[in-house]
Amino acid sequence: MSVGLVFLVVIAIAIVGFFIGRKRAVLSVDGDVRKLHSLPSYYGQTVFIFSAVPALLVTLAWLLLQPLYVENQVSAKILPGDIVEGSSLELVMADVRRISSGLDSLVASGNVDEDGLKLINAADTDVRALLGEVGVAVASDVQANVFTASMEYRAKTAMLKTAMAVVAVVLSLLGALIALSRIHPEYRARNVSELAIKSLLILSSMVAILTTVGIIFSLLFETSNFFRMYPAKDFFFNLTWNPQFTGGSDLGILPLLWGTLYVSFFALIFAVPIGLLVAIYLSEYASRRVRAIVKPAVEILAGIPTIVYGLFALITIGPMLRDYFAQPLGLGASSSSVLTAGVVMGIMLIPFVSSLSDDVINAVPQAMRDGSYGLGATQSETVRQVILPAALPGIVGAILLAASRAIGETMIVVMGAGAAAKLSLNPFEAMTTITVKIVSQLTGDTEFASPETLVAFALGLSLFVVTLGLNVLALYIVRKYREQYE
Amino acid sequence: MYDAPKLGANVEQKELKIAARGVQVFYGETHAIKDVDIDIQAKTVTAFIGPSGCGKSTFLRCLNRMNDTIDICRVEGDITLDGEDIYDKRVDPVQLRAKVGMVFQKPNPFPKSIYDNVAYGPRIHGLSRNKAELDEIVEKALRRGAIWNEVKDRLHEPGTGLSGGQQQRLCIARAVATEPEVLLMDEPCSALDPIATAQVEELIDELRTRYSVVIVTHSMQQAARVSQRTAFFHLGNLVEYDDTATIFTNPRDERTESYITGRIG
Repeated sequence: MSVGLVFLVVIAIAIVGFFIGRKRAVLSVDGDVRKLHSLPSYYGQTVFIFSAVPALLVTLAWLLLQPLYVENQVSAKILPGDIVEGSSLELVMADVRRISSGLDSLVASGNVDEDGLKLINAADTDVRALLGEVGVAVASDVQANVFTASMEYRAKTAMLKTAMAVVAVVLSLLGALIALSRIHPEYRARNVSELAIKSLLILSSMVAILTTVGIIFSLLFETSNFFRMYPAKDFFFNLTWNPQFTGGSDLGILPLLWGTLYVSFFALIFAVPIGLLVAIYLSEYASRRVRAIVKPAVEILAGIPTIVYGLFALITIGPMLRDYFAQPLGLGASSSSVLTAGVVMGIMLIPFVSSLSDDVINAVPQAMRDGSYGLGATQSETVRQVILPAALPGIVGAILLAASRAIGETMIVVMGAGAAAKLSLNPFEAMTTITVKIVSQLTGDTEFASPETLVAFALGLSLFVVTLGLNVLALYIVRKYREQYE
Repeated sequence: MYDAPKLGANVEQKELKIAARGVQVFYGETHAIKDVDIDIQAKTVTAFIGPSGCGKSTFLRCLNRMNDTIDICRVEGDITLDGEDIYDKRVDPVQLRAKVGMVFQKPNPFPKSIYDNVAYGPRIHGLSRNKAELDEIVEKALRRGAIWNEVKDRLHEPGTGLSGGQQQRLCIARAVATEPEVLLMDEPCSALDPIATAQVEELIDELRTRYSVVIVTHSMQQAARVSQRTAFFHLGNLVEYDDTATIFTNPRDERTESYITGRIG
């Protein structure tokens, strides 16, 4: 039985169990559902849960552990002599897996039946050609021992799969029976259902957290590999970024970090005042009609793909800044510049700042405004002296979220600021950021063994630490702000 | 309709502060205040009573044009302060609100220090020339708000950290700091416990020596305790307006009587 079929059977048993459980609950009180502790369908739900959840969990665990177990058993059959020069046990085992699944397709294609398969002797049959017929490519001729191992792998896998199906169905039936036997009028079925929902919610949040942890660990692992090949001191303090794929490269993060912060700085210089003024206008001055039009219009900016912003930077803002500012001022002749990327990124961030600040400003209680107007303050005095100070922590949170977005931005930088890693104060010069260099270090045909490629992980981790720090700071500030009016 | 309020004998003794004639207020389609005429005297506490939703708070907010901040609200009729029409185009509502201060139902100190809360009005209206003068204004206002002794050692702590009653007296101090002529109070004690209420009521009585006070209240005992004149509103109409003693002992309209004896409301 295939995994999908096992899944369907278990679910079917659970659904049937649901209806039987509901019926049984109703019958247990002779049709008078008021005497039940819970509504009848809650009893059905307990049967469903008892029947489906353990069976599916066991299936899942089985699927994860089975290959490990089988491989462990079969790899004992491979002798050191079977491993060709330059190969390894892992590669041979990959072959074993491929051959075994190839044999499956061979049988499925009808060329050979199960009995015929047993008669094949790798020594005098061209297994490679046979498998090639059904579209499975094997690198070299199949050795006798490897073929035996493949056969065993196949047999064990098939056996365990059947066992898994049996175990799952039996567990499912058993769970249904246990749950059914527990149904009586006093049974607190809705509490069981509640517990199940709570577990589901906890599980979902665990997925999010574990993913974050997983990301951190994968980065940490590769980063430690990098630092084994390249000294950490050079990475953090070297002022040059000059990767050479022939070796002997300078991989200092500082020019990239500087580029990142410089571009983000201009983006925020541009986005924060405009975004904040938009937010103030929308929340305090605009009539309901204007607000209904302007707010979504501003938020459209957030929906534009960053690559489109990049194009805008490349063909419009970049040449404009070069022709009207950089060249007349004698500051450079490049249309790619920190300022270009900063301005365009700033435009992208306006809706971020304005939308979040708007929410925060709206959260300031009306009583504050009334108090201020009641004392004879004008609207802008009220905004400046009461509303903004009251909303400030939330606004800072919004700005920090925008900042972490700016730091992580890639496309606009590639197209607006160029790819030259430089430490310079001139905003009209091309510079680059951490994200851009991560992309350029990993694109192309490279292996993950040299410091030039592994540095991407160290850069990624550094970026992660910076943005995580900003996010934590933002969350802390926003949370502190929330407490103020509760 | 109802008999136009006949002004009692002692009205002539006191100077007229606010006069309203034919005031109508609409919230969108809703007709919230219907043709209200009222004269409010200087240096008197005037209480507005009536069941919830009768329009007394709405009318109070007309007196300093706070209703201007609500888009859908429309006010018709004449309201004069010292003989000047406050709804005249030449009148700046912002200046008006400095003259007609307001204290709200829920204490609403700004999330600033106690000092900055009180100094807020004087600062925006430029009432002081230097820090020393501002200090003086703040101290005077806090003394008038009967809270000076409780906060004088912690003027720079946040106003939101005070207890409810203290916060409300801080808000009163904040309102009197701009030297208003009229003080409007919208149920100033409804969020306070009995002890804090007593303190605020005592304060209202003291404020009468300097200001005209108009107070909206749900508590008839409070109206009886603190006011000299009482106006009874019902369904947007001003039903009866007279000396507090008369309203509570000898009301002319049966709706007033029903309300104060607890039969409607």
